[in-house]
Amino acid sequence: MPELKLPDIDYAALLPMLILFGAACVGVLIEGFVPRSVRNMVQLVLSLAAMVAALVFVIRRAGEVTAENAATIGGAIMIDNMGLFMEGALLVLGLVSLLLFGERTLERGGAFVPHAAVTVGSERDREQAVDSGATEVYPLALFSLGGMLMFVTANDLLTMFVALEVFSLPLYLMCALARRKRLLSQESALKYFLLGAYASAFFLFGVAMIYGFAKGVDFRAIHEAVRGSETSPTLLLIGLALVAIGLLFKIAAAPFHVWTPDVYQGAPTPVTAFMAACTKAAAFGALLRVLYVGFDGAKWHFTPVLGAVAVLTMLVGAVLAVTQTDLKRLLAYSSVANAGYLMVGLLGGNKDGLSSTLFYLVAYGFTVIAAFALVSLVRDADGEATHLSRWAGLGRRSPLFAGIFTFLLLAFAGIPLTSGFMAKFGVFGAAIAGDQTWLVIFGVLTSIVLAFPYLRVVVMMWLSEPGETTPSVSIPGVLTSAVLGIGTVATLLLGVLPGPLLELADQASSFIR
Amino acid sequence: MNPTLADFGKDVWWIVLIKIVAVFVFLVVMTLFTIWYERRVVARMQVRPGPNRHGPFGLLQSLADGLKLAFKEDIMPLKADRVVFFLAPVISTVCAFTAFAIMPFGPFVSIFGQRTPLQLTDIPVAVLLVLATSGLGIYGIVLSGWASGSTYPLLGGLRSSAQMISYEVAMGLSIVAVFMSAGTMSTSEIVTKQADSNWYAILLLPSFVIYAISAVGETNRAPFDLPEAESELVGGFHTEYSSLKFALFFLAEYINMVTVSGLAVTLFLGGWRMPFLPDWLNQGWWGALWFTIKVLILLFMFVWLRGTLPRLRYDQFMKFGWKVLIPANLVWILVLAGVKTVNAHAPQQRWYWIGGAFALVLLAAIFWPSKKDSPKPTLEQEVAARPAGSFPVPPLDLQVPVSPRAQRITAEREVV
Amino acid sequence: MSLSAYIPIVGLFALAAAFGLFSVAIAPFVGPRRFNRAKLDAYECGIEPTPQPIGGGRFPVKFYLTAMLFIIFDIEIIFLYPWAVSFDMLGLFGFVEMVLFIVAVFVAYTYVWRRGGLDWD
Repeated sequence: MPELKLPDIDYAALLPMLILFGAACVGVLIEGFVPRSVRNMVQLVLSLAAMVAALVFVIRRAGEVTAENAATIGGAIMIDNMGLFMEGALLVLGLVSLLLFGERTLERGGAFVPHAAVTVGSERDREQAVDSGATEVYPLALFSLGGMLMFVTANDLLTMFVALEVFSLPLYLMCALARRKRLLSQESALKYFLLGAYASAFFLFGVAMIYGFAKGVDFRAIHEAVRGSETSPTLLLIGLALVAIGLLFKIAAAPFHVWTPDVYQGAPTPVTAFMAACTKAAAFGALLRVLYVGFDGAKWHFTPVLGAVAVLTMLVGAVLAVTQTDLKRLLAYSSVANAGYLMVGLLGGNKDGLSSTLFYLVAYGFTVIAAFALVSLVRDADGEATHLSRWAGLGRRSPLFAGIFTFLLLAFAGIPLTSGFMAKFGVFGAAIAGDQTWLVIFGVLTSIVLAFPYLRVVVMMWLSEPGETTPSVSIPGVLTSAVLGIGTVATLLLGVLPGPLLELADQASSFIR
Repeated sequence: MNPTLADFGKDVWWIVLIKIVAVFVFLVVMTLFTIWYERRVVARMQVRPGPNRHGPFGLLQSLADGLKLAFKEDIMPLKADRVVFFLAPVISTVCAFTAFAIMPFGPFVSIFGQRTPLQLTDIPVAVLLVLATSGLGIYGIVLSGWASGSTYPLLGGLRSSAQMISYEVAMGLSIVAVFMSAGTMSTSEIVTKQADSNWYAILLLPSFVIYAISAVGETNRAPFDLPEAESELVGGFHTEYSSLKFALFFLAEYINMVTVSGLAVTLFLGGWRMPFLPDWLNQGWWGALWFTIKVLILLFMFVWLRGTLPRLRYDQFMKFGWKVLIPANLVWILVLAGVKTVNAHAPQQRWYWIGGAFALVLLAAIFWPSKKDSPKPTLEQEVAARPAGSFPVPPLDLQVPVSPRAQRITAEREVV
Repeated sequence: MSLSAYIPIVGLFALAAAFGLFSVAIAPFVGPRRFNRAKLDAYECGIEPTPQPIGGGRFPVKFYLTAMLFIIFDIEIIFLYPWAVSFDMLGLFGFVEMVLFIVAVFVAYTYVWRRGGLDWD
């Protein structure tokens, strides 16, 4: 009988992922067996507990990483310091945005529709308007988050692809579940799905090319092939370009950003917050690993191209943000621009670039979740009132929330004493240190452009008279209040006392190959 | 002695050619024979003679029918999608024939001095080939229904494909246990393994039962012949077909019956070997005879089922496939794997393990919450539950007053 | 093991395809042709046939659902086969992994069941 060589599996290292996936499976069973009335509560508690447990195990693992025990399952997963930091960041951001999923006081039945497949406008659709929303979102979010953890720790391109699918598919579904503006929601889900499928196909095709070049898909083999190869790099360049397209789609970099505004607008706002914070972080985690671990030898090839993409992303994001009249779309374009700034840090190509990108991801994540939480509060009879003109005079009506939103917008704009300033300062500094001054110039210029739409909102809120149609700001429930509080405090703290997180990011910014 | 995988792919080209033609002829003859066989057996079950005019015992009846079909008018409906309508029967037939390529008829024989296994060919994934071709054969059916441009064929084709894929899952799961026991997917080696141990129909009885049921569903035979439920769908997917195109569907259907029977013989019933026989009777060409006899017995079962059982309702049928066969199958696979693993790793304590698992199942069965039916609402509650503005309904216990005329007649009778 | 063992399959396939194509091709020429407009219509009792998929009609979504469930379970089977064939080699490790896999599929299966995905109304 021939012996099969079985891979070693370090269950302790994989525990965070296993907990999330296991809890998601339990969540699916809960959907089948727990009565509808208590389902939301049970699911919420289970998801939060799973995330907290996973976070605990990530933290416990933090001190124990060595070069020997980092790789597991035959080198398919690499839990190094960088991976752990990303896992922790994703879990924290996921935890905060999951609180938004559970909010049920703003709208009867929550932000999600009970049955997404019901034809819009039909009798059945009107009937379900008052029903309790779908609680499948919790297992879906857990699956998605589990996939993200796998995405940032994947150590070969195939595992990365599987993880990409695992975290994308639930997101496509969740986008279609908005309770109000059903058609927009369904449209966004379909767009996201189709474009996402294209991007996945690009990624997979790139993996095939790279396999042809390096005779392997794990990053160490690719690294060695890039270093030592005498053969022509054509396959490598095609493969890298295709893989990069797949990842740039997920981080919403121009010209692969076109889905972002539609999807951010159509998706339920809690899901938008989750995507804006976590998907971006996960995709950047993976991009960092691909570029720093696998393809660092090809730096001279990819830096100019990705630099051009970064500049284009910043320009597109900033300029188009100016023309937006819908708040969710505005935030979407701002997230596109922020992807550009993140790429500036990434292209710095040094340890500072890495740590500043990590810091930026966390800081931006907190701010954007809080911003979307606030968007979900401003409502009228048709649900969220996201048109800019509707926000005119909001500062007079509810100065507290307008004040918080102003603060968050200032953080987006990168004003000192906010986390946005520290984050941008970090990535620009790293880029200058990495001789990418041209990127920084574009970064500063677009930041100035981008400040305009933010300030326009601020001016509208505070300096206009409230009109007849100015919607009221709903009183947030406990969960949304918690999200707002956490997001705002984090934005402030990371702006005033960025030291601890910077240090943590600095320690984490090392890969094990 | 027994053929193994290594013995295949070594034949001379003309031996291969002979074998191909032989398999082809075998299938066509089996089809003609089975149609007659079915009609005769069903007739006997219904106490009537059945076809007995053409040839001895009416044996040539199906040949005559086939020839007559060829000289019938070939109709192409106006609304049909011409290319697909044309190709669909070909797809069905080709898939049906190809599946038989790996069926083992016997051990080594000598054909014109060449020593060769009595089997067209064998590959490491032989059983997968059967499943793959039967899966592709569904295309023929669903495309014929789709391309006919007519309602009955469309519904018949869809039903048929839904039914076949549902039962294909059950069938695919049922043979997992065979692979686990045999450790191979090659048909000739599975036959050899059964000679060493025992028939898998005995060792893996649950698998065999599930296979047998799903084979009937897979071939659209009574009591699962819903795609052709005459009273609902006329002829099902081939309603619009006539002449030789119709004959091809008929051919494919009967070949599929022969194939699933042959696969059952190979995987579960010891293949071409007959037990309790001296060695010289289990050699050479005798294998083909035993194989054919076993296949004919299984075909008799098909006919018997048809003669005995009424047709199922479609929802019951799908429910049975998805809610009974599939979970039962998965559980059975797990149990078998568990027993095998315990046997291999802890043979001393195996009874503790098996007993423990059994006790666990028993406990779960005892404490399983029984489903409580909510009490039936009273008449008043039902009426109260009706939405406002409903059509007024008289109470069910309404006393209808006796008509004056009837009263008068009764009164008059009493007077008289 | 060379690929030559696959050649007879191709041979049988070719013979069957030739037979099938020949049959459908000669059918119009062997049989009689007596034109009648009514023969060319769809088989219905004198009414207009309901819209067909070819002309943009629809059929019940239920069939799609069955097809998707089929794909899920077929993929499960595809995973089960290699495991079953090398069951003895994989031993306890393979058993545990397969139990986990089947449990995961069962979770989805129970969900579909409870949500009425397996009911055919």
